[in-house]
Amino acid sequence: MKPLPPFRVHRPRTLGEALRLLKEMEDARPIAGGTDVIPAMREGALRAKNLIDLTLIEELRGIWERGDEILIGATTTLSQLERSETIAERAPALRAAASSIGSVQIRNLGTIGGNLCNASPAADTAPPLLALNAAVEIASEDGTRTVPLSGLFAGPKMNTLKPHELLTSVRFRIPPDGAGMSFQKLGRRRGHTISLVNASAYLELEGGTCREARLALGSVAPTPIRVREAEELMRGRRVTEDLIEEAASTCYELVNPIDDLRASADYRREMARVLARRALREAWEKAGG
Amino acid sequence: MRISFKLNGKEVACEARDNTSLLDLLRVEMGVRSVKKGCDQGECGACTVLLDGQPVNSCLVLAPQLMDREVTTVEGLQEDPIMRGLVESFIEGGAIQCGFCTPGMLLSAYALLRDNPRPTVEDVKRAIVGNLCRCTGYVNIVKAIIDASERMRDE
Repeated sequence: MKPLPPFRVHRPRTLGEALRLLKEMEDARPIAGGTDVIPAMREGALRAKNLIDLTLIEELRGIWERGDEILIGATTTLSQLERSETIAERAPALRAAASSIGSVQIRNLGTIGGNLCNASPAADTAPPLLALNAAVEIASEDGTRTVPLSGLFAGPKMNTLKPHELLTSVRFRIPPDGAGMSFQKLGRRRGHTISLVNASAYLELEGGTCREARLALGSVAPTPIRVREAEELMRGRRVTEDLIEEAASTCYELVNPIDDLRASADYRREMARVLARRALREAWEKAGG
Repeated sequence: MRISFKLNGKEVACEARDNTSLLDLLRVEMGVRSVKKGCDQGECGACTVLLDGQPVNSCLVLAPQLMDREVTTVEGLQEDPIMRGLVESFIEGGAIQCGFCTPGMLLSAYALLRDNPRPTVEDVKRAIVGNLCRCTGYVNIVKAIIDASERMRDE
């Protein structure tokens, strides 16, 4: 591997200081776990003269229940998500996604904010967070704004943050009792693998009828996506195996995957349907269906 | 930049450029050669160290991020009963072929047994999924880790 190009590392202790550095420093990029940034810099895919290391900023790390919401700081590691009782209880599909990423070593470094800002179409935390209707808080010296997570993704490895902005947290409403969720992943191996396709489903039932349905897929389009056609199809209808099959089949038509060294577009399209079906089925079971 | 951190229980300090990885710092500046350079991109796990007790790829950590933290390599665990048991099991069970992956493998196994003295085979596989053995000697490595956990419990 090539050596790292020269750069300076800055280590702010507060969010305010980090935002000031991002605005003032020329050619500055945030870094936390480094699991995506460091390899990208070695390859030359990412260049920066100044790295703003966020890992000393305490207010950016942690998992909190605030009222009816869960709030996750951007530099919370994937291992912290994996071990959190709050996440295991409130959003088990997010826990499953976090623990499916990379290796123990990678999860001890990698962060939820990094996984999202890296904007890989295959980012495993994205589908469950999309299915949870998560929002991200974005801060800069000019103020803060909250956008739906889907608004963060611009394209493969491209996010919508401006150069001086920072993703500071992810939040979502705590699912009500009786909601069911699932995360499904298909890779080339069972562990330490990038998703060929991933999927997450969220269902709320009321007497067997679907009150709310959300379905998200990754690695089948330029960004992780919500499959709103499938959701519309399910809302208000009695959930059955046939309905799930019908909803999953819409994915086959709607996804827009690519051929790459890991899988063909055709295979991904077929697997989008399979994983959507598995995710909806598991969410249905968990919702008491 | 002047960096000070704890290496295997001792305070150390050195000069390092900001773009130095912990891996290069250990091998070149500190002479710790048990930490291997394989892929240099977080895939192979040959450079695994414990950072504040948790396994990480040292090729992905930058020198300035070490300030006031604790780095442990196999050298720092020579007297540790869990590590001694692992080393014995690895030797007796033929869990070492070329040896390149062994230090990283031992550190991942150590962190597992420290936190979970009764791992299942599945737990072991999950713990070492980030440590590639290109001799593909995984069967004996998994057996040796299970064996070490059983010995730990008998003692």
